[in-house]
Amino acid sequence: MRRHVTLYGLTFSLPLLIWQVLFFVFPLVFLVALSFWTVKNFAMRPDFDTINWVTMFSRKVFWQAYGTTFVLATAAAALTSILAFPCAYAIAFKLSDNARRWAVFLMVIPFFTSYLVRVYSWQIFLSDAGIINVLLGWIGLGPFHMLNTVGATIIGYLTLCFPLAVLLQLFSLVFIDRTLIEAAHNMRCGRLRTVFAVVIPSARVGLVIAALFCFILSFGDFVSPIYLGGGDPTTLSILITDTTKSGQQWPRAAVIALTMVGTLLAVAFLAVKFAYKGRTK
Amino acid sequence: MQRDTLVSFEGVVKRFGAYVAVQKLDFQIHKGEFLAIMGSSGCGKTTTLRMLAGLEAPSEGVIRLSGKPINDLPTWSRDTPMVWQSLALFPFLNVRENVEFALKMRGVGKAERQRRAEQWLDRMQIGEFAERNIAQLSGGQRQRVALARSLVVEPEILLLDEPLSALDAALKVRMQSVLKNLQRETGITFVYVTHSQSEAFSMADRVVIMSRGVIEQIGTPQEIYRTPRTRFVADFLGSSNIFTGKVTSVGGAGIALQTDSGPMQLSASNAASAPVVGSTATVTVLDTKMRLSVTPPADGVNVVPVRVIGEEFVGATATLYLETAKGQEIRVQKGHEELTGLPLGIGQALFTSWSPEDGHLVAGG
Repeated sequence: MRRHVTLYGLTFSLPLLIWQVLFFVFPLVFLVALSFWTVKNFAMRPDFDTINWVTMFSRKVFWQAYGTTFVLATAAAALTSILAFPCAYAIAFKLSDNARRWAVFLMVIPFFTSYLVRVYSWQIFLSDAGIINVLLGWIGLGPFHMLNTVGATIIGYLTLCFPLAVLLQLFSLVFIDRTLIEAAHNMRCGRLRTVFAVVIPSARVGLVIAALFCFILSFGDFVSPIYLGGGDPTTLSILITDTTKSGQQWPRAAVIALTMVGTLLAVAFLAVKFAYKGRTK
Repeated sequence: MQRDTLVSFEGVVKRFGAYVAVQKLDFQIHKGEFLAIMGSSGCGKTTTLRMLAGLEAPSEGVIRLSGKPINDLPTWSRDTPMVWQSLALFPFLNVRENVEFALKMRGVGKAERQRRAEQWLDRMQIGEFAERNIAQLSGGQRQRVALARSLVVEPEILLLDEPLSALDAALKVRMQSVLKNLQRETGITFVYVTHSQSEAFSMADRVVIMSRGVIEQIGTPQEIYRTPRTRFVADFLGSSNIFTGKVTSVGGAGIALQTDSGPMQLSASNAASAPVVGSTATVTVLDTKMRLSVTPPADGVNVVPVRVIGEEFVGATATLYLETAKGQEIRVQKGHEELTGLPLGIGQALFTSWSPEDGHLVAGG
């Protein structure tokens, strides 16, 4: 069948198309171009020089930040997935239809407040004279140094990812054919074993996508590593701001940003491939 | 055939809230038989099967398997494999893994698992698809995988919940013979839930007919077909003409009734219990036992004057639709050769009649 471009179709698709070109394709192309510019005397000059790529890729601090960010984002994705699953499972299988709607609503509420506000409120809990240490002090424990640690950064990532992970996992769990679970029980597969043998494989696509989103959000996050992690260890997002602040090195920052985009594309591709592995059609 | 009891339902009731799905079930399933539970949707047949599988708990009564009560046994502790209407094959496993699943859950070793799976894949003629995904199989092939998956553990009993309903007519008939042969060869007790009379009657040794959570009749297909015990069964099967009237006399010679279509007689042995004179009773006559003639027959018993309102030919038999003076529809089935010479134009006046041996009194009026 031939597809005709109609005025009707264009009316609805053009605004989105123009938006995408203006605010996604164009900046991305510009970012690529920027990464080849040069900086002389704190002034950027259009150029075509691979010096920024060579400089950044040969710096130890860049690879350290890359490794840190990758490991932290992976840990956040794994931890969030593991913590979110029992929650999503309970909402999907143990609650009545009505209670499930309320649970979904509760999972949406965190999105009502700014992530930055939620992270700041964690500072009040985690700081040396914060709520947790005061409470622990009453029973003769602590104080513990919690703010400006990797653990605090991970808590920030969890704050960012957890509600979304629960929702994404939930949507894949509620669509599982219940007769598959009954069939497993019927074939001597006990409750817990059924979770691993049937529920998780059935919901695999949703679970992988949820983990992928956690990875993407954590990998690019700036707020948690700076306000809860204290900027140490340095993540790629912190490195970008540092680079732009020191000597107007926007082209080098572009190199970092492009490396992040490339990493996320590769991870997303592999994750989707893994999610649909063994499925034909 | 053995008559040992494998399963017995004793006063089993199932309620969902205020709704009573199954009320007071009392029946036995014999070892090695092919039992069909038949009824229209909502009659409680699937609930009965699910209680046996352990997927629903009875509200009252006892279900025994090999003499032992199994009410409190969860489904994963029973050996009552089931084949679902949707088949419930695992889409994330291939054919072989699906068949091996139940063995794996029983802790059967890998080599033994493969050997037994192989055996059943071959037996069900799906060996060549062993490494395929479920999505790549046709409806009939999936059916075979589902059967292999349930039978691989060589259970004593197999429960089937309308497994053929998704297949087209030709494949359905093929699978019916596959199922019947499988049951005969393995000797495994099959409990088969269906709403289809042709499926139940062509495969089952005994048929249970349910309506509104109650058993209407249990018997061999022939028994049920020839002598429907209740009016519901006669209506449900649709193979009998039904007449209702008042009993005028009961004696050694027979039972006489007065109906809207005239006086009728039937043999005394054709009533499960002798009716009371003056009570309302219902007579069923198989549509194949009805005679047709242009003039009233000489014996003058069970003669109803009718008009032809339609005819339908299916293969070697014809179904004639007739109407009495009171507007009751009567159906008669005959071979073509029996109809030659009879004028069958629409509106033609004829006489239909039957022998007193062919009328049966149903229970409960």
